[in-house]
Amino acid sequence: MKVFANECTFDYSWEEVSTANWRKYCPWNEKSTHVIAVDTLSRHVDPATGILRTERLITCKQSAPKWVNSLLGGLDTSYVFETSYVDPVSKKVTMTSSNMTFSNILNVRETVVYKPLDATRTQFVQDAKITALCGGWQKVKNAVEEATVTRFSENARKGKEGFEAVLAMSRRVFSEEKQKEQASGTMTA
Amino acid sequence: MSASLAPECDGVKERYDTCFLKWYSEKYLRGKGTEDECAALFKDYKKCLTSALKERGIDQMLEEARADHKESDEAHMRRS
Repeated sequence: MKVFANECTFDYSWEEVSTANWRKYCPWNEKSTHVIAVDTLSRHVDPATGILRTERLITCKQSAPKWVNSLLGGLDTSYVFETSYVDPVSKKVTMTSSNMTFSNILNVRETVVYKPLDATRTQFVQDAKITALCGGWQKVKNAVEEATVTRFSENARKGKEGFEAVLAMSRRVFSEEKQKEQASGTMTA
Repeated sequence: MSASLAPECDGVKERYDTCFLKWYSEKYLRGKGTEDECAALFKDYKKCLTSALKERGIDQMLEEARADHKESDEAHMRRS
């Protein structure tokens, strides 16, 4: 098993980050092109805790290196299942995800947490456990795990850049909408 | 907003996502909404998506993944 851990800070409030997170993979994000679709499967608010639980299916263009891909069966699309939890009181977003495709050979489990650092900054903590399950050569398993970790860190870097763009755009659109609202407010007043 | 894996569901998905995002930022995060106001739109989207998942044979895989995530619920559905 290999572990990929990553941490960074976004200079946006937790409210902004947790909202923009729902559209992390929209066209404003030109970096994470490996994600081609995001579908919501179920969503509900737990009446006892107020926690919002969401299940999503993420469709990716196969981004494994060519040799790994052919070893894994040569499919060009892969699916990731994600369950996320938003606690609006303690201000915490937790997202857990795992691969659905090739799950008999490779197990990738990722956890991402967004928590406020202060009123204007949000901390992002990412952790992924990667385990090759294929029986046989330890060397092959190690190589598959290493290649997956490398690809993971590339996607994480691109993901941050792309998400920064989404955050900036969301803030701009939000302030424009607010101005419009205020303008129409003064007209009707 | 991101696309659906089924292009035929893009329209209903877009309407639902827009509704959800507004509810999430304006009500849910401000402690004003525990009820999902976008339920009707979600129903339309879900109907389209469910048959698309079946057609593509992803529904079975999903059930397995869902069962596998049960333990995350235990860890995250309570207040930390």
